[in-house]
Amino acid sequence: MLTELLQGTDAGGFLLIQDSTGYCGRHLLKSFIGAALNREEVVHVLHFEVSEEELTDGLKGSHIQRLHFHNAYTDPLGWTDHPAFTVHQFTLEELAHRVKQTSHSKPVTLVIDSLSWVLRHQSPPAVCNTLQQLRKGGAVRAIIGLLHADMHQRGTVGSVCHLATSVITVAPGMKGDEAVAKLTKRSKSGKVMQDEEVFSIKEDLTVMVQSRPSHVGGRQNDAEEQETDPTANLTFNLRLSDTEREAKEKLALPFVFSREKKTALLHSGPGSGRILYEPDANDDYDQEDPDDDLDV
Amino acid sequence: MAAPMSSVGKPSAERSPFNTTSFQKKTRSKLISIPGTRPSVQNGQLLVSTGVTSLDYLLGGGLAVGTVLLIEEDRYDSYSRMILKYFLAEGVVCRHELFVAAAQDNPDDILQELPAPILDDVAIPKPVEQPRLSVEPQDSLDAMKIAWRYQNLPKVQSALASSSRFGHYYDVSKTMEPEIRQAAKCHRFYLPEQPTHSSPTHSMRLESYSALLKSLQEVIHREGFDVAAPMSKSRNILRIGLHSLGSALWGDDLCCHDKPRNSRALTTFLYGLRALLRSSLSVAVVTLPSHLIQDRALMGSITRLCDNAIALESFKGSERETNPLYKDYHGLLYVRQVPHLNCLASKLPDHKDLAFKLKRKQFTVERLHLPPDLSETVSRVSRGELAAAATAASAASACGSGSSGNKHLDF
Repeated sequence: MLTELLQGTDAGGFLLIQDSTGYCGRHLLKSFIGAALNREEVVHVLHFEVSEEELTDGLKGSHIQRLHFHNAYTDPLGWTDHPAFTVHQFTLEELAHRVKQTSHSKPVTLVIDSLSWVLRHQSPPAVCNTLQQLRKGGAVRAIIGLLHADMHQRGTVGSVCHLATSVITVAPGMKGDEAVAKLTKRSKSGKVMQDEEVFSIKEDLTVMVQSRPSHVGGRQNDAEEQETDPTANLTFNLRLSDTEREAKEKLALPFVFSREKKTALLHSGPGSGRILYEPDANDDYDQEDPDDDLDV
Repeated sequence: MAAPMSSVGKPSAERSPFNTTSFQKKTRSKLISIPGTRPSVQNGQLLVSTGVTSLDYLLGGGLAVGTVLLIEEDRYDSYSRMILKYFLAEGVVCRHELFVAAAQDNPDDILQELPAPILDDVAIPKPVEQPRLSVEPQDSLDAMKIAWRYQNLPKVQSALASSSRFGHYYDVSKTMEPEIRQAAKCHRFYLPEQPTHSSPTHSMRLESYSALLKSLQEVIHREGFDVAAPMSKSRNILRIGLHSLGSALWGDDLCCHDKPRNSRALTTFLYGLRALLRSSLSVAVVTLPSHLIQDRALMGSITRLCDNAIALESFKGSERETNPLYKDYHGLLYVRQVPHLNCLASKLPDHKDLAFKLKRKQFTVERLHLPPDLSETVSRVSRGELAAAATAASAASACGSGSSGNKHLDF
């Protein structure tokens, strides 16, 4: 599922990459930027945490001209007189204006590195509102954001994940350069798809997906019981061949009636359940003397 | 009264010769007859169907007019949204008026996704005793080969349903026809389209809730849903659906922070909503993403402020998805609260462990029970594990063996 997500999000999608200190999600984010550039999209990157050089490292080719950076790294809080982009400028109007300046009527993907910075300095409801309106308003086609899950309260992370259409949670894997990704994708019809994959990122920022991770602990084995075939390994034959099965089906069981008799019995009219009984001499039941028939 | 007074003054020529008596029954009951409602058998309240017959049965026959149903959403908001759509679709079929409010999706989108009603037949095929030999499909007799005498007996129902046809059934795979939907009057409230007129110092949370409450009050008063309004014209019910209240998009930080700054905004709104509903002929269904709320005391007070409260937990994405105990179901349903309106005690549902599944034509809520113990040795171990899982899930389990099921009794 990771490769499908890399190949493109549908319009109005919000993809969230959640990472922690164990494994940095920025490499995966750069792979997504590279994949978006390969698809001839215009990518706007709003970077708070790393510099422009570090982000372009690894992205080569002529696609670079479609990549636009909004530098919030040098002065995010506006301490100097002329900041390039401050965190308080993360509003709908400002972002839509900046994106429109260089769009040339091509679909725009907005990449935010990282949302944690914005959530630290603005209230979460305001940030959620801005993201939702960016998606719905049509200013950008898709949003990809990076969130450090261990920097915020659970409710905040949950609220942002609730907004997202796809969530990728990355964690360190078993071997050195491998990582485990838990993916959740919500489609427009309300269906939820989930997956867990092991992947690694190569030098040219392509993602190699390996096999599914093996579940440690045998939790899966407990759930599935091995069904042993009881008819195997016997000295006598318990199985049926096809002709034997046919003969078995053809056998007329003693109380199987024809269809007409069945319908007659099932839909019998009222009074068919009466029991007609004529008591004979032996059934003379006298209440007073129960021992009347004793021959003493 | 043997003869009403009105007939004494009439000349005898006006009396119809076929009329043996001019006695007219005096109806003292104040029950208004509105389509789509029926009086409750327990306390005479006017009830309205939620659209899901199993849920009606759990709530004591239906939703009482003037109450609020709180649905705690499941993790991905799929089934709670489905119940909200059932509720609105039931309103369209019963010709009630609708009011939909949402902050995330446009109410028009929600209204376009309403499921199509199955108008001609009941979804559950109940075999009926037919005294005459009607034309029967041939394959029904072949259904049971050996036990054919039991064919016409009713099957044991583990689905909870009341016997009368109060609610309707819907086909989830189709959406409602636009003609049917447009016949119903819908009022919409979409938060991003509301004008924001407040000073920046005023917190935005109260702004959204108070705007919603004002809009509701205005609609109720204008369309004549007040109980105090004159009884001259025919009355109708207003169905209110509020989607995902309390989420961050309403401007509330209830779901975002562990200790929200103004924690009483939503509770104040619910208090005002209930007061508004009690004095009008309307019913409200509110969905709330309770899995994001970290403060359990606040969640408890929100539950107390709503009359009915249920919680949904879907198995998608949790480890319960692969548990064989739950393989037939899509999730668990908890009844948190049942109202007691004008009485001291309320009718609680008999079974506490309930599970739901969404089929194409029905949303059923069933009692969760362990599967039958088929073989002697194999299931003795697994039954203990399943029973332990069941007791972990709910306090009162059906078999009640607890965690001691693992030990074999060896003599």
